[in-house]
Amino acid sequence: MIRALPDTLARMPLTVAVPGLVLVLLLGVSILVSERVVTRMVAMQERHLSDLAETYLDGLAASLLPAVLRNDIWEVFDTLDRAAVSYRGLSPIQAVVVDDAGLVLAASDPVAAPVLEPPPEDLARAIGGRVPVIDAARGRAFLWRSLTVSGTSVGTILAEVDITALIRERREVIVTLVVTNLLLTLALACVGYLLVRRLIAPARVLTRHLVDGISGPFEPVPTADLPLTGTESRRMIDAYNGLVETERSRTHLMQRLAEEERLASLGRLASGMAHEINNPLGGLFTALDTLKRHGDSRPDVRETSIRLLETGLTGIRDAVAATLHTYRPERLGSGLTPADLEDVRLLVSPEIKRRGQRLTWHNGLDRRIALPGAPVRQALLNLVLNASAATPDAGTVGVGIGIGVEAGGLCLIVHDQGPGLPDDAAALLTRSQGAAPIGSDGLGLWMIRRSVDDLGGTITVGRASPGGSRIRLDIPVPKEGIADDRA
Amino acid sequence: MRHPRHRGGDADGVWSRRRLLGVAGAVALAAPRGAPAQDNPLRFGLTPVFLSNDVQLLADLKTYITQATGAPVTLVMRRTYQEITALLVSGRLDAAWICGYPFVAYRDRLSLVAVPVWQGDSLYQSYLIGRAGRVAGAVDTLRGDVHAFSDPDSNSGYLVTRALLAARGTDPETFFRRTFFTYGHRNVIRAVAAGLADSGSVDGYVLEVLGDVEPGLARGVTVVHRSEWLGFPPVACPAAARDSAPVKRLTDALLGMDRHPLGQKVLGSLRLDGFAARPATLYDTIAAKVEQAGLAG
Repeated sequence: MIRALPDTLARMPLTVAVPGLVLVLLLGVSILVSERVVTRMVAMQERHLSDLAETYLDGLAASLLPAVLRNDIWEVFDTLDRAAVSYRGLSPIQAVVVDDAGLVLAASDPVAAPVLEPPPEDLARAIGGRVPVIDAARGRAFLWRSLTVSGTSVGTILAEVDITALIRERREVIVTLVVTNLLLTLALACVGYLLVRRLIAPARVLTRHLVDGISGPFEPVPTADLPLTGTESRRMIDAYNGLVETERSRTHLMQRLAEEERLASLGRLASGMAHEINNPLGGLFTALDTLKRHGDSRPDVRETSIRLLETGLTGIRDAVAATLHTYRPERLGSGLTPADLEDVRLLVSPEIKRRGQRLTWHNGLDRRIALPGAPVRQALLNLVLNASAATPDAGTVGVGIGIGVEAGGLCLIVHDQGPGLPDDAAALLTRSQGAAPIGSDGLGLWMIRRSVDDLGGTITVGRASPGGSRIRLDIPVPKEGIADDRA
Repeated sequence: MRHPRHRGGDADGVWSRRRLLGVAGAVALAAPRGAPAQDNPLRFGLTPVFLSNDVQLLADLKTYITQATGAPVTLVMRRTYQEITALLVSGRLDAAWICGYPFVAYRDRLSLVAVPVWQGDSLYQSYLIGRAGRVAGAVDTLRGDVHAFSDPDSNSGYLVTRALLAARGTDPETFFRRTFFTYGHRNVIRAVAAGLADSGSVDGYVLEVLGDVEPGLARGVTVVHRSEWLGFPPVACPAAARDSAPVKRLTDALLGMDRHPLGQKVLGSLRLDGFAARPATLYDTIAAKVEQAGLAG
């Protein structure tokens, strides 16, 4: 239990844990102090009572001894009777004198302790004990004193004293102590709570901003919540605000870099597309020239030329259409279709062809699913382009796309025959909420990561079977977004 | 409750009265031998009485005697009857209020000065008392008691009970489980009321007056047995000083007390009618008790 205590405390808010600890410590101290005070008071009371008792017994013994020696019942009674009035400070209830035979010679209350009878049990029990013998439960103290002459006992004085006033005083002190300590402890706990709450207010503000930053952008602490200038808390908050500003600037820069990267990619694609268009253009002009020259006379030549023209123009149209799809994402707002992913195949095919590589493509998506098309396609496009770049010329790049109702999501797998993804690049992909890379290296991977994070997906980096990397994206799709919504 | 007065008769003790007066603190002791000189203060002895705490009564008595005799008075008090009797018999006191039993014992050496009159006569009774609620009249029920006597020289507080037991063929040491002396009739009543003693022998006059003065204390006891009427404790003087001037002045003062305002006040405090001259035969019944108890010397 004690080992679990720190964990329990650690889970508590500081505003509760610190005052709570202070409260427990104060309670401990107050209990200890109270116990000491009460013990000391009890000892003092008993010493005081003992002194009074000794004085009382001394006085009685001096007065009684001659009468006891004479066995003078009346004198003993008269002395005890007068002593009952003389020692009011001690509140004697009864006093008994027994003779050397142990029988009552006389008592202040002869009815309770008749002459020539054994003394009352309560009083007799005290004989031999340390004076006073206290019975706190009944509020009584019992005293005794042997009456001796030349070392020989001639009788014994026994007395019962009312100490309810002492017990009441003791009880009142205890109650006062407990109540005072309790009130003091509670007051100090409240003060402690308010102080600690005030002291850790900046830390709470910081914690709130950090927690909010997990689910959204990190926001700087507003001026109204800033602690006093020059304090440790202020330096901490200032450092946080500086960090947020730096991160914001860097993210902004990354976005700009990403945009530039996109534009660069667009340039590359544009050049690829120009290449795609340019390549057939020579053939198309040749076919056109042939058509001009022999189109009238040679129907077969005309047929062939027209077919070549059609084929070439179709290829150009497809390339242009895919580009339009990719860079007009607003058209993809209604979900992800198999054709969206096929566009990726079309877009990368010029690069694949340029490298003399082979693209194995398996698209298992057979319906429209409720996922935003643009980020998925962008992520897949980046992955395939990276895979192509990593794979040597004439190598193979593989793409597998699957959708599973049971699995609950879309699965994209891209593998290459490259040397394998470096660790830092893999970390960029797999570290959720990872910071943007410094510089433009790995920017494409970071953007994939961002896209997948936005979609709530995960990325797994592994090794492909013949060699190279195997990157798998799992993107959750609501079940209702999968079922029977075929494209 | 007063019975018809006894007439005349032999001397008997003013035991309880004497005790009445003898309460307070002691005074003079060493006095010149022989009859008191004219200029010397009158030495008047008092035995322990029930009004031992009545300082005002003692002051009034002293003032009255001083005024009435024209001579200063010294009140001499002792704890026991024996001490006062010894002083009186030896002539160290001019007079003393003593009990009938010592008067009888020293009848040849003492003379009567005056005898108090209580409820019309100079007679009183001895009471055997027990705690309140005890059956009256059954002396035998006291057998085995712890019994309180007043004084070994007291008539009502010792002698009468001893004579009563002797008439039954026994004595206090045998009849009672334990006896003790309290040296004061009021103390006997205190002892019995408190339960210290089961029963006690006490002056009937003291108990009756205590019923007026301290009814709470008197209610704590009940009278089990009353003796016959006996001579009231007298004021006596040494026989040799019977005709001395101081004694004569004292006699006149006592006999005229009921005619003097301060004297009436003193008598009122003592619940007495006055003092009267009585013959010594008033105490013959006490002398008979002495014989009966086997204490005759």
